[in-house]
Amino acid sequence: MHRNARWLARALGAALAARILFADAPARAQAGPPAAHEDAAFDFMNFLSQHNLHDINQESWNAYGQVTYISSWHPAFSAPYTNANGSINSLVPNAERSYTGSATLFLGFRLWPGGEGYFVPEAIEEVPFSQLRGIGGAIQNGELQKTGSPQPQLYRARTYLKQTIGFGGDKVEKTSDPMQLAAVVDARRLVITAGNFTILDVFDRNSISGDYRQNLINMAFMTFSSWDFPSDARGYSWGGTAELYWDDWAFRLGRITPPKNPNQLAIDFRLLKFYGDELEIEHDHKILGHSGAVRLVGYHNHVDTGRFADAIAAFEANPAKNAAACTGFNYGSGNADAPDLCWVRKPNDKLGIGLDLEQHITEDIGVFARGMYSDGQTEVDAFNPADRSIAYGLIAKGSAWHRPFDVTGIGSGLSWISSIHAQYLAMGGVDGFVGDGHLRQAAEGVFEVFYSVNLLKALWLTADYQYLWNPGFNADRGPVNIFGTRAHAEF
Amino acid sequence: MRSSRKGALLAIVLAVAWTSHAAAQQQTQGFALERFYPSAPGGGWLVMDTLDMRGGFGGVAGVTLGYAHDPLRVATTDGSQHLTVISDQAFADLGFAATYDRFRFYLNLDMPLAVGGNNGTVGAYSFTAPTVNPSATPDVLSDARLGFDARLVGDARSAFRLGAGAQLYVPFTGNPSYYLTDGTYRAMGRVLFAGDVGRFTYAGQVGVHIRPRDDAPTPGGPQGSELLFGVAAGVRIPLPGPPNTSVIVGPEVYGASAFRSFLGTDATALEALLSGRLEGTAEDGRQYRVKLGVGAGLNPHFGEPEWRFVIGIELFDHSTDRDKDTVFDSRDACPDVPGVRTKDPRTNGCPKPPDGDGAPAGNAAPGATEPAKPE
Repeated sequence: MHRNARWLARALGAALAARILFADAPARAQAGPPAAHEDAAFDFMNFLSQHNLHDINQESWNAYGQVTYISSWHPAFSAPYTNANGSINSLVPNAERSYTGSATLFLGFRLWPGGEGYFVPEAIEEVPFSQLRGIGGAIQNGELQKTGSPQPQLYRARTYLKQTIGFGGDKVEKTSDPMQLAAVVDARRLVITAGNFTILDVFDRNSISGDYRQNLINMAFMTFSSWDFPSDARGYSWGGTAELYWDDWAFRLGRITPPKNPNQLAIDFRLLKFYGDELEIEHDHKILGHSGAVRLVGYHNHVDTGRFADAIAAFEANPAKNAAACTGFNYGSGNADAPDLCWVRKPNDKLGIGLDLEQHITEDIGVFARGMYSDGQTEVDAFNPADRSIAYGLIAKGSAWHRPFDVTGIGSGLSWISSIHAQYLAMGGVDGFVGDGHLRQAAEGVFEVFYSVNLLKALWLTADYQYLWNPGFNADRGPVNIFGTRAHAEF
Repeated sequence: MRSSRKGALLAIVLAVAWTSHAAAQQQTQGFALERFYPSAPGGGWLVMDTLDMRGGFGGVAGVTLGYAHDPLRVATTDGSQHLTVISDQAFADLGFAATYDRFRFYLNLDMPLAVGGNNGTVGAYSFTAPTVNPSATPDVLSDARLGFDARLVGDARSAFRLGAGAQLYVPFTGNPSYYLTDGTYRAMGRVLFAGDVGRFTYAGQVGVHIRPRDDAPTPGGPQGSELLFGVAAGVRIPLPGPPNTSVIVGPEVYGASAFRSFLGTDATALEALLSGRLEGTAEDGRQYRVKLGVGAGLNPHFGEPEWRFVIGIELFDHSTDRDKDTVFDSRDACPDVPGVRTKDPRTNGCPKPPDGDGAPAGNAAPGATEPAKPE
């Protein structure tokens, strides 16, 4: 059953990929979601521009918005044990429903020459599967946050300043988009960003895959699953970045705040003591006239976390230092026979390096791939517990079948944990949101396929299927079929 | 052994007594403490409104930063017990508005920077101070404010302007214990007036704050719907430099009184600010206001602090169309001569040339064809 279902899912994906790849070459914009400012699409700024009320090519301000509702359901799946021995982090094997609803305003203002300010309030409501426990790097819905609740919560997602300093070269036209004021800038320039934002606003800007509101929904395709970038429990950080653009090259550096305790909302602002440093080198290119990019991403976290080896050693030396007896910050495991990271947290380092690729193969079809290797010695601090990950896929717009605003895509992602991480989980330990009490180590994987139908040039309705195997890096559990729908509107 | 039994008995008695005492205490809930309701983005004063919306489509972005000291002090009716529940309250309010002619639609989002104070008991009520700061609550927002204002009488510079406005407070935060929200929707309806007479400028408001939350008889809490009132007056001091650059200095006095005990001292808040602002409101180019205010509560009630400090910055702009040809002046090559819309910035908004050569026939933009001489 397991193998049959996996074979069927892969066959469906291959068939769809073949259909897309061998379709007639479309003749519209690049793959990925429709550009919000495209003349034919509806949005507020276009509306003003068309009525001669706004200069959409040289903006002093802009305002965009979005509303997204994502619903997921999984039927019951096979699991010989769940939350064994008092552990708490299993994906519940009964049928479950999850949903998120979000609404966002993207407000941007030009403050002075080269200076821009952005403010992004957002409201979200959510119900995850199993209180967001039991899935490692392939959480089925990228909208899900670690502090969400069924009641709508309004919060300030981003508040930051951006300063661009031109160094000449060719001129580059920046279009009007959410969090981007239309302007003509130098191809050689320094861009400094400071404030409250997500590091994904600046780094790993893969133009094909990354927006769970418009294409692949699973978090495995948002960015590297094993990139444990520091952030609060919603995914946002404080800090600063510097980007040097030099024609086809871009070099990025950043330092951002970690949470006070792993995966929590409270932030530690001591940026000289605890921090995440990010580095990216990007090269843009064209192959056969189609654009692409290669990005090398590295990170170094210096944060207050626990090493798996230390937790195991502490438990073996003194079994009283078990998960059920924690006195410091912990996730609430009741397993008295398991080690826990709560006993060994101290300033630790975590390192990782990854490669991100994107390539348009026609104007409307693009492929992407990401892979990252993290050292896997310390617990998850802010993102996912995966230590190594790859993800790849294809996104296409529907021009070939005369539905140019429709979007479809397929993708697959795999993530692994290190051997010491696996040993810790096998002993019954919990790491963030994984830890079933036992473990038969395996790579966690997901396959996803979706189709989005566009209505009224501003609304997309999506049908989505995901096939998740070895959830929580545990071959004893799953596979899990996940059926999803999404409604997304932009204005 | 006997001593041990006595000790146990004493412990039980004390525990029962403590439990009884604790049961008699009523834990209070937080509420929307702030009663400094900033003027709408572009409103001019810190609290009052100049009602000077004008021109074509325009926008305003503003930020107001403020600090209030001891904005929530509660006491028993006989004054025997006091507690400063909230001793420090700092906020940053971001406002955005769209204006057209005499209308304004706006959104305010208030980010608390710090809310803290003291836990304690006053009479039968137990108070718990929140811990709100950028580290513990990095992204919390107070109630969002949506508003609409319209000037009904007068123009943007007239001696008497009358308008009306409505505001809706949306309780997204959902956690009253932070003293940022009532946990319910609130609404305000206001009649606004303002004017400029020579160097004298004034503004005021009367309105109703529909507030479902009524915590009476809990001391220091909301008591239902309120009357809003306020007035401001100042002197405009022109500055050298660009036209319409000036400093306005004057007091603002404002407050609210719950209808439950109308104008009673235990239900009325009154505060005064000495405000000053530097503004540049010339029609061409971006306009701005930098505002500063210091003040104090005159009749201590919730939300009225011992003292307050406020600073605000507004940037605003609006398109003008002097020749009324629907091509706004910023893009009109002939801003004083009605014309037609073209894709060429050299001719956009200029009269259609009689010979069809595309050159403007009116007062052309610099570098364009020389205007035709009058007959």
